[in-house]
Amino acid sequence: MGACLDNVPVGHTIRVRAVLLTPEEREWLGAVGIVAGEVLTVLRRAALGGPMHVRTEDGGEFAIARSLAAAIETESAT
Amino acid sequence: MTAECHTEPQANAANGSEGARARSDLRVVLVGRPNSGKSSLYNTLTGGNAHVGNYPGVTVDILEAEVALEGGRTATVCDLPGFYSLAATVDADTDEGIARRFLDAPHDGPRLVTQVIDATQLGLGLTLTKELLGRGDALQLVVTQNDLLEADERRLDAAALETALGVPVCLVTGRDRAARTRVLAALASHPLTGTAAGSWEPKALARSVIRSMERGAPGSGLLGPSRRQRATAALDRLLLHPLLGPVLFVGIMTLIFAAVFLVADPASDAVNWMMGLLGKLITRTLGNGLLASFLVDGVLGGAGTVLAFMPQIVILTVAMELLDATGYLARGAFLVDRVLRFMGLSGRSFLPLLMGHACAVPAISATRIIRDPKERLTTILVLPLMTCSARIPTYALVVSTFFSDRGALFRAALFVGLYFAGLLAGLLASLALRRTATKGRGLPLVLEMPSYRTPQPLLVAKKGYQAAKRFLRDVGTTILAVSAVLWVLLNVPVPGRGSPSDPVIERSVAAAVGQGLEPITRPAGFDWRMNVALVGSFGARELMVGTMGVILGVEDADNNTTTLAQKIRDAKKPDGSPQYTMRTGLSLLAFFVLACQCMSTVAAIRRETKSLRWPAFVLAYTYGVAYLASVLVYQLAGAFGIA
Repeated sequence: MGACLDNVPVGHTIRVRAVLLTPEEREWLGAVGIVAGEVLTVLRRAALGGPMHVRTEDGGEFAIARSLAAAIETESAT
Repeated sequence: MTAECHTEPQANAANGSEGARARSDLRVVLVGRPNSGKSSLYNTLTGGNAHVGNYPGVTVDILEAEVALEGGRTATVCDLPGFYSLAATVDADTDEGIARRFLDAPHDGPRLVTQVIDATQLGLGLTLTKELLGRGDALQLVVTQNDLLEADERRLDAAALETALGVPVCLVTGRDRAARTRVLAALASHPLTGTAAGSWEPKALARSVIRSMERGAPGSGLLGPSRRQRATAALDRLLLHPLLGPVLFVGIMTLIFAAVFLVADPASDAVNWMMGLLGKLITRTLGNGLLASFLVDGVLGGAGTVLAFMPQIVILTVAMELLDATGYLARGAFLVDRVLRFMGLSGRSFLPLLMGHACAVPAISATRIIRDPKERLTTILVLPLMTCSARIPTYALVVSTFFSDRGALFRAALFVGLYFAGLLAGLLASLALRRTATKGRGLPLVLEMPSYRTPQPLLVAKKGYQAAKRFLRDVGTTILAVSAVLWVLLNVPVPGRGSPSDPVIERSVAAAVGQGLEPITRPAGFDWRMNVALVGSFGARELMVGTMGVILGVEDADNNTTTLAQKIRDAKKPDGSPQYTMRTGLSLLAFFVLACQCMSTVAAIRRETKSLRWPAFVLAYTYGVAYLASVLVYQLAGAFGIA
């Protein structure tokens, strides 16, 4: 099992393996483009436990709450 | 190429010969993800002209405008709020819910759903395309930002995309005038039939239709970030730096609010000077009769005095629009999310809260971007505490009256402090509400971070112009009417009240009302004049200054050139001591920071919450807290020896 997104270091690119959230939250993440199989690059973390800034393979950039990131399982992108 | 529509207009459709597509009965519904360029396209197509449409089952404002098509026909273009998905809808009152309700509502006549897609994020846009095709609506794609794609030496193969989707595709750039003609021709020639969603996968399709200009190879264009994304990344390294980012954020906000005071102050002085000249001219022409008093003390003293604050309101509106248009607002949301989360909100509340500093009414509508119903309600309930532009006249008057001997920087700092006081009050109210009236689990933040963009000067100028127009309309209608009525109430004595030798104003109807309230407001340092002004500004807080202008103008009718600030400083009690001091000013500021003196805001809360309970709650809690705060400030100032 890979690290969850909140533990991925800044600058690393990973692939989303599973989104362990309620169906409602999973659907919402899917709507903005974050689904299992999506490749994400972690751009930065806000200070004091604030959100994470990630970029999808399609070029979309999103801020995601750290609590959501902790529920996104990742694996190597290669 | 700056505008390309792959499907050529069909002659028989364009000349309007088909019965089903008779004149002026095509409804074009613009949809798309937020930041896809939808609003820019709407402005391009309609010239920015819009009115609010009335649609059954849709209780919010949808902008629409009529445009002329080929062959003398017309179309109604409707601008829906931006949304990511119709399926993932949590709350029917959010942007997604509103769009879904609009699209589901029965409609008469032909309708064409036109999806706007950002070419640099084609894969994400096509996810929504798939949802829309599944609904069976007639669909047209307009792909924007094509110039940015070409700047990265990439090209969208519109023919291939059109073939794969079975939907007409039109390519445009953001600022090209030919785009309007091309898009309208494409809309006019659309067969208006639905297309079934195929088995294509959005990301794979996007990869296959974007090609490198050099190699022409499919998919090569999606590798690596675009030029705009690289520029955005460089700026973000500075603006979102863990230490420097928050400092710059506070600096930018401080600069904006200080500019409102520093830059606009001379402009306000100029308007005041002109009002003084006009007053002298009227007196010289008409003498010192009742008509001259009405015009000088009632009209100029009330509505004219408020007019002096228009520059501040325009500057603030333009600054907010610039922040939004550049893409910095999303960065602000990223930076403050942690703080807002502590207060029971999230970064998504940041945009409405910041907009509330211009005007709470559109900000309350903007809460529709917040997907969490409880967070949305909390934001609505605390928005009246943000320092909206209507508070500026009173703040500016108090600051220039009681702190005129201090430097401009001190006064600007005080002004900024008042903005932060409103923000702090809002955050504390949110903290309390989330633990009581709106408690419950919230949805965590997911927020798009758009690339930075250069604002379109015309659109920004238009926002400033609209703010000025709205303010002028208020001055010319509500404020003028209230000023005139107040002048009458200040000049009509209550029979049997006082001695005939007393000045009329002290025996007037308005004075009777104000004096009746004095036992309640005396602990806060307010006399009958201020009470009259506070009653007069219950519906709209900007009336405060005009009302004080009328009262002191009537009292000091012989002097038409003295500014209102000087008249307030000169006002004396019967014992000869100053009627108003810095202590009174501070108490008045405390009241204005907290009280919801705006019936438009109350109506907006009623509309968005669909209940009378929440607007009543807002009025009760803001007035209660405002009264207690002004009493506290007045008494503490006295205890600390502030005159």
